[in-house]
Amino acid sequence: MSRVRGTWRRLFTRTDRNATDTPVDERTLFAMATVIFLVQFPHLFHLPIWVSLLGGGLVGLRLWHHHAPHHKSLALVLSPVTVTLIAATAAVLLRLDYGYAVGRDPCVALLFVLVAAKFSEIRRASDATVLLCLSAFLLLTQYFYSQTILTALITLPEIVAMAFAMAVVRDPHNPATNAQQLRLVGKLLIQGLPLAAVLFVLFPRLPGPLWSLPEDALARTGLSDSMSPGSIGSLSKSNEVAFRVEFDGPPPPPHARYWRGPVLTEFDGRNWTVSEQNTAATPWHPPDAKVYDYTVMLQPHRLRWLFALDSAASLPRADQGANTDTPILGQLMADRQLIANAPVTSVLRYRQSSVLSNAMMPAHAPRASTLQLPGKNPKAIAFAEDLREQSTSDLDYAQRVLRHFNRDTFRYTLQPQLLGDAPVDEFLFDSKAGFCEHYSAAFVVMMRAADIPARVVTGYLGGEMNGDYMIVRQADAHAWAEAFIDGVWRRFDPTGQVAPSRVEQGLSAALPTESAVPSFARMDAGWLRSARLRWDALNHQWQRLVVDFDNDSQKSLWERLGLINPSLVHIVVLAMALSLAWGLFLFGMPSLNRSGLSRDEALWHRLCRLLSLNGFPRVPGESAAEYLQRVSGEWPRQRARLRMLSHDFTTLRFRRTDDTQAQRTRARIQRELLTLALGIRVNRWQRTRRPVANAEHA
Amino acid sequence: MRRYTLIGPPDQAMNATAAALNPFDIPASQQLVDVLDQLDRVLIGKREQVTLALACLLGRGHLLIEDVPGVGKTTLAHALSATLGLDWTRVQFTSDLLPADVVGVSVLDTRDNRFQFREGPVFTPILLADEINRAPPRAQSALLEAMEERQVTVDGTTYPLDPGFFVIATQNPADQQGAYPLPQSQLDRFLVGIEIGYPDAASERALLEHGDTRRNATQLDSLLDEERLAQLRDACDAVYVSAPVLDYLQALIQATRAVGTGLSPRAGLSLVRLSRAYALIAQRDHVLPEDVRAVFPALAGHRLTGQVQSGQARAREILDQVAMP
Repeated sequence: MSRVRGTWRRLFTRTDRNATDTPVDERTLFAMATVIFLVQFPHLFHLPIWVSLLGGGLVGLRLWHHHAPHHKSLALVLSPVTVTLIAATAAVLLRLDYGYAVGRDPCVALLFVLVAAKFSEIRRASDATVLLCLSAFLLLTQYFYSQTILTALITLPEIVAMAFAMAVVRDPHNPATNAQQLRLVGKLLIQGLPLAAVLFVLFPRLPGPLWSLPEDALARTGLSDSMSPGSIGSLSKSNEVAFRVEFDGPPPPPHARYWRGPVLTEFDGRNWTVSEQNTAATPWHPPDAKVYDYTVMLQPHRLRWLFALDSAASLPRADQGANTDTPILGQLMADRQLIANAPVTSVLRYRQSSVLSNAMMPAHAPRASTLQLPGKNPKAIAFAEDLREQSTSDLDYAQRVLRHFNRDTFRYTLQPQLLGDAPVDEFLFDSKAGFCEHYSAAFVVMMRAADIPARVVTGYLGGEMNGDYMIVRQADAHAWAEAFIDGVWRRFDPTGQVAPSRVEQGLSAALPTESAVPSFARMDAGWLRSARLRWDALNHQWQRLVVDFDNDSQKSLWERLGLINPSLVHIVVLAMALSLAWGLFLFGMPSLNRSGLSRDEALWHRLCRLLSLNGFPRVPGESAAEYLQRVSGEWPRQRARLRMLSHDFTTLRFRRTDDTQAQRTRARIQRELLTLALGIRVNRWQRTRRPVANAEHA
Repeated sequence: MRRYTLIGPPDQAMNATAAALNPFDIPASQQLVDVLDQLDRVLIGKREQVTLALACLLGRGHLLIEDVPGVGKTTLAHALSATLGLDWTRVQFTSDLLPADVVGVSVLDTRDNRFQFREGPVFTPILLADEINRAPPRAQSALLEAMEERQVTVDGTTYPLDPGFFVIATQNPADQQGAYPLPQSQLDRFLVGIEIGYPDAASERALLEHGDTRRNATQLDSLLDEERLAQLRDACDAVYVSAPVLDYLQALIQATRAVGTGLSPRAGLSLVRLSRAYALIAQRDHVLPEDVRAVFPALAGHRLTGQVQSGQARAREILDQVAMP
């Protein structure tokens, strides 16, 4: 690999001390402007418009000032005092705008303004250095908002621009053109990539919350701990990924993919909420049931729900390869929902096992709250009691209710009309159009009216296979019902009675014409859809391999390398060895053959060096044979060796030789050279010791 | 039998390799040493010059001798031709010399009314062109063309010269009055330019004692013949030039270009050829840097400054500047 040609002033030797104190020149200014623009750009999408305008405006003003330097008012605006005032004002305004000061958004916005302000009053090259550090920090803050592969790609040109600006700031008068400098910087960055990779893999990760983001950094999408008419319907319009699943074996069929989430018991006539009194249970499953093992990668939703397929048969455990004795991340409650130990604030990866079952053994007798009705829906209750009397059993009754949904003119729609104070009554007898939450709520109310314990279960129904993993989106959010009949909790999905295709094929099949269904949920979007699926797969890998590369992944990597709990020394040694190997690969073996000489010539030069070290330098115009003859005359002790070397070198260097002969000669020369070198070293050592010994005697 | 070498004792291994490589065996290559010894007896104390002249002959080049009269230029030509068993012709270049006087002329044969070509003095193995800078450029260029092409063209007909055609040209540096100095391009046609110089005291003493050597020269035994000479010339091409020596050659040529006009690539090729011939005379099958060093002034001198004396001084400076491998 070729050497990098020097258009780069050495970073660590500040030979030109004045460079940092000189006024900033045009080249530096525009390089810095490019950096600022690129770093600012991704932030424009989430900042308040006035912050964006202020930041961009300050940069623009500075460039204008460069264009028209004698503009008095412009100089006044860009004076350090004014800029400081502007920044201070912006800080106050930000506090007022966001309503709080310490948090991700206001702090990033403030940094954004400060970077622009610093640029606007840039005077000297040293300012540029400070500014570069600031923009590097602003660049990093992009990752507070998104850690997708796209974000990483966006930062690439920014990094190149920063490296370029660094080169320009260091050495503004370098005659190299911008293209040459860019090429150099690109080459240096590419050469640095493997080192970055080594550091990424080997640098010890800090476990836990030190890396976690501030509270406001997490978007809030997903199922909540309450349900009211329309809440899931609005969720269904979201394309966002709720979680991804990797199954160890084949996945369950689509109609059985009930992902159990919050179980809602409390009902105030309109809203459903989770029960406060919940106790932990131990996971259990019939011994003959088929167990599905899988890994869930849950997107952060800031609540404590974990999702498991149907009936959880294990506790969620951290995913650490084959290791089975891993930390337990949550517990299973009596109503068979999984609760995490802590709110999920970053992508959470956990191992889970499940069985498919639509009838669950209760952990304890149903609580009173599963029967409680606020009495706000009198028509429904009356209808239920009437229907119950016609039924032979609780199960028969439940079937009759489902049949009622099926036979009557119920419609399944994402856009039901708004319901009033008695939503169940209005839904059952007037509008007869609703989404899954309407059906499940109505079903539970009717069960409870017939003195059958019942509850609403929210979660996701469905999931789409993308290669070897499954994507479950917010659009798959669903609500169904469970009723306690004959001593077990049975699942009833009244939506399935109205729109069977929702259960079988997903939302878009059930709602073919409604535009509110996210385009992505539709089956027939063609190449766009497949492209987006591929993009999701890429992001999934990115999340799995890069973003999720944490302390645990590192530990399992060490174990795979045969190092259990390596010490810092091990890590440092390994990192340095890898870096050294890369350096050697780039710049060649520095000490062995830097001269570009052939092997034999290098040997000859070694002999010349040795002899001149011993006080016999070569005279110009003296041939090799003459040189050795002269030295052997002046150094009789080595005469025989030198004569032999002379002959061997002539053979090796000037004569036509075959390979075996050359090799023999070369080996002899190397041996003789080694002996000679040793003798010379010993001589020199003795010579340096003698005066010291004399001094001691004196 | 006395063995003469320029550099050092040849060892057995080398001789074996040389025998394997060359179309002649080592005793035959010994012939060259005998040739040298014989020439040395005629031109006393001029071993270096004689060796260079022989190398020039073997290297298929032409020889330019620049010196005052009476130091043995003609004797050298005599001795070479006699020793090698070749014929030779002498042309005295004067200011009224015409090209036809050199290459020959077509004359009308009255018996059958046809032009018949009368060969000039160039139709000979060895041509001694005395005082070449006295002739006008027309005559000079006629000769120089013959030297380069080894053929002459008269009235549209091309006549080949002797395949071993070898020119020994002399010029007198001290007497430039009314002379036509050879231009740079034509000097390049001479492979070697040497001075003979006065003999040293001992040699001159021997010369005085043994009388005129020119008479001796005509009575020399011929040690080689044309066929043998052609074989030896082919053997020159088989001499091995190693990479370090090539590097050295290149460095030397490069160094001549640092100031003024340097050596041309053609001169570089000539240098390789001459070094090979020199190594062959020294009974080696490979070129040593010492060979290059020995022939370099003779090759570069007249090419660098147009004059052998000043040019060789310049060439020696260059030799001191360029590190030997």
